[in-house]
Amino acid sequence: MPFREMNSVQLDTLKEVSNIGMGHAATALSQMIGQRVNLTVPNVTIIEISQVPEHLGGAEKMMVGITLQILGDARGSIMLLFPQESAHRLLCSLLGHQEKALIMTEVSVSALKEVGNILASAYLSALGNLLNKTLIPSVPLLAYDMAGAVVDHVLIDLSQSGDFAMMVETDFAGEPDQDLAIKGHFFLLPDPATLNIFLSDAGGSI
Amino acid sequence: MSTRVTIAQVRIDQSPAVLKAYGLGSCVAVALYDPEARIGGLGHLLLPNRPEKNVLGSESKYVDAGILEIVDELVQAGANQERLVAKVAGGANMFETTYQTLIKSIGARNARSARSTLASLGIPIVGEEVGGNRGRTVEFDLATGNMMVYCARDDDQVSI
Repeated sequence: MPFREMNSVQLDTLKEVSNIGMGHAATALSQMIGQRVNLTVPNVTIIEISQVPEHLGGAEKMMVGITLQILGDARGSIMLLFPQESAHRLLCSLLGHQEKALIMTEVSVSALKEVGNILASAYLSALGNLLNKTLIPSVPLLAYDMAGAVVDHVLIDLSQSGDFAMMVETDFAGEPDQDLAIKGHFFLLPDPATLNIFLSDAGGSI
Repeated sequence: MSTRVTIAQVRIDQSPAVLKAYGLGSCVAVALYDPEARIGGLGHLLLPNRPEKNVLGSESKYVDAGILEIVDELVQAGANQERLVAKVAGGANMFETTYQTLIKSIGARNARSARSTLASLGIPIVGEEVGGNRGRTVEFDLATGNMMVYCARDDDQVSI
């Protein structure tokens, strides 16, 4: 189904399904970093592919992006984005890093990928249980660069089937203290064909 | 005056405008310039080749179709196709190459498509900053035909 033809009930269905999946992912993250993790209500947005980098806070903003493909009964991508300060704080609490700024070593890359893996797996297993589907995350891939550069390869797959992307977006944050919060964005980018599977099995009509 | 060229967009303008494309990963930016008329165009292109049928959505996301579109618009605006020169940047592979099947090296295919399309039009490539695994931002100055390529991660810039 083309993304633009979705109605509000279908959008709500996706939001709710995603909320449950993200809840599991946030619990996993919270246990890993030993902090409370707050979630925003997921936002489902349908925007032109060319606007995606802007939507992420600007094409030139430095971000750590971890991407996984969804394999199994449905197809699509998951993209986790951490602004560089948040990635740094995450590494401080995971690895006890003392550095002042983000330095990408083999260990930090591996730790961040593992975070991506755990979040995506928690999310997909909750989603899979709910929809009675087998959803398997691929190995995580990581890039640390400008937001535009990090996300464009996810957009390539989508752009083959049109000019719009649908993003299920959740922000999560640790500590309430803004200066110390670990913030991240979680995006689910289903392939258009996969959307039907999600919606019909979630009880939303197509 | 600078104009931004977003993903899947092509723009043309004349001196002294500056055309910019931010955050290129596996996308390529193709700049075409007529040094005498001092007009040029920039495309921020996403996919290597336009499929023969069932094109879904805009055509200017394809490297080959996008280049043809810039050339057409430039010629209409008074450029001479025989004077056109090209500069190409981007086409990186942002993620590790260990998992080829997950990445499909789309960046390299984009760069290859840009080279072959330009070659078939007889437009020489006078500057290139492609490949690798770093993101790039380009600024194409239509007063001079210079293209500045910035790499935020390495804090590096080159002029091509």
